[in-house]
Amino acid sequence: MFDTALSAHDLLFLAKGAGVTLLVTAISVAFGTILGILCGVFRFQVGPYWASPVTFILDIFRSIPLLIQLVLANAFLGMVLKLRMSGFTIACGVLTLYTAAYCAEIVRGSIGSVPGTTRRAGRSLGMTWFQDMRYIVLPLATRVALPSWIGLALGVMKDSALVYVVQVTELLKSTQILITRLQEPLFLLMICGAFYFLISFPIARFGGYLEKRWSND
Amino acid sequence: MKLPMTLGGLMVAAGLFATSAHADKLDDIISSGTLRCAVVLDFPPMGSRDESNNPVGFDVDYCNDLAAALGVDAEIVETPFPERIPALMSGRVDVGVASTSDTLERAKTVGFSVPYFAFENVVTSNEESGINSFDDMKGKTVGATAGTFEAIALQAQVEEWGEGEFRPYQSQADVFLALSQGQIDATVSTSTVAQANVKSGNFPGISVVGKAPFDIDYVALFTNREEYGFINYLNLFVSQQVRTGRYEELYAKWVGGELPDLSAAGVTR
Repeated sequence: MFDTALSAHDLLFLAKGAGVTLLVTAISVAFGTILGILCGVFRFQVGPYWASPVTFILDIFRSIPLLIQLVLANAFLGMVLKLRMSGFTIACGVLTLYTAAYCAEIVRGSIGSVPGTTRRAGRSLGMTWFQDMRYIVLPLATRVALPSWIGLALGVMKDSALVYVVQVTELLKSTQILITRLQEPLFLLMICGAFYFLISFPIARFGGYLEKRWSND
Repeated sequence: MKLPMTLGGLMVAAGLFATSAHADKLDDIISSGTLRCAVVLDFPPMGSRDESNNPVGFDVDYCNDLAAALGVDAEIVETPFPERIPALMSGRVDVGVASTSDTLERAKTVGFSVPYFAFENVVTSNEESGINSFDDMKGKTVGATAGTFEAIALQAQVEEWGEGEFRPYQSQADVFLALSQGQIDATVSTSTVAQANVKSGNFPGISVVGKAPFDIDYVALFTNREEYGFINYLNLFVSQQVRTGRYEELYAKWVGGELPDLSAAGVTR
């Protein structure tokens, strides 16, 4: 089993794949979170009736499997709009919307978890809506949202394995390329799993650390 | 100042849109500067990856040649066998350079060029057996991988001859091992497989001695079936590859042995 044809060059190839996975995840989670916060606040603020068009669009991104979204987005941009975009751009775009759809739900739920009495107390002290959001809702809601948001970020990282359909060679695709060439599937999948663990574990631990730190005050 | 510029931009955009409606795939490829080829990369020697995991093979070189002829960059899009036509239909690739047999069933969906490669069946024999052609196999012990096209045809041939013996094997490697050890005198297999096994050096004492008169598997480039302009270009490109000797060069580089004829006797394609 440890008698393998895997070379140092191939490990570097896998590391490059892991780099692409991290980059796609970082871009999508960053933009997806910003977009998700905007949508989540909007949905909470205007109420279910007026927010229904946004809710509907976000539900589409949450309900359709990511693989299908990627293939359809690629076909739509390429064949209908005749845009020649790189697979990387399409992957980041679709994953951003996918992240935003889930993030909006997390944000909406965590804003809802801030007690109405606390917020009304703030407003009766003369705080503006923005001050209320900034000094009361943000600190309390962030603590509620953090565990789910870390879960979302880790989920998106693993879901990003699907971007191979738009010709992005990320970690899992790199592994598959090596499996085809070296014919050692179990060994290579173990290494691939180890790579995923290496990049997920610090994020999970960082989330745990923040949770602990913020719970004291 | 700003408004006229915006208007001007819109008019240019509208103009571009109008021309793009008339442009066909050939124009689109040239203007985009990239040719995206569907290539199967787990099918050596037609397509595989080298030690640095870069795509290599006959099909890869062929795609690069086509891109060079068009004056654009080549992009190799790895597609497994069942994904070749879907990749074209969903707009992920411009052309398939993927060892695709030009069947009439497939031609209902995609447009094929003239054949650019042909998989012939060849006879590989143990050098001690004295077999130098297909007919020499009469009365000898032969074998092939059970269930394959060439095994069925070879077994039928042995029965027709009425002498000799046919032995089926589980895998291609078993067949060549048996041949090298002298358990069988000869086998029939696809030219690419036979040449690769002979060249590998794992099976000493065997050599490719001639062609087998079985059906030849012609493979062609394919693109969208309504893109006549591009299909026409592909046909001429295949013809040029043969005329300039590039086809022979690539065949010698990746396969080796006798160059297969790309047209069936009596018809143009």
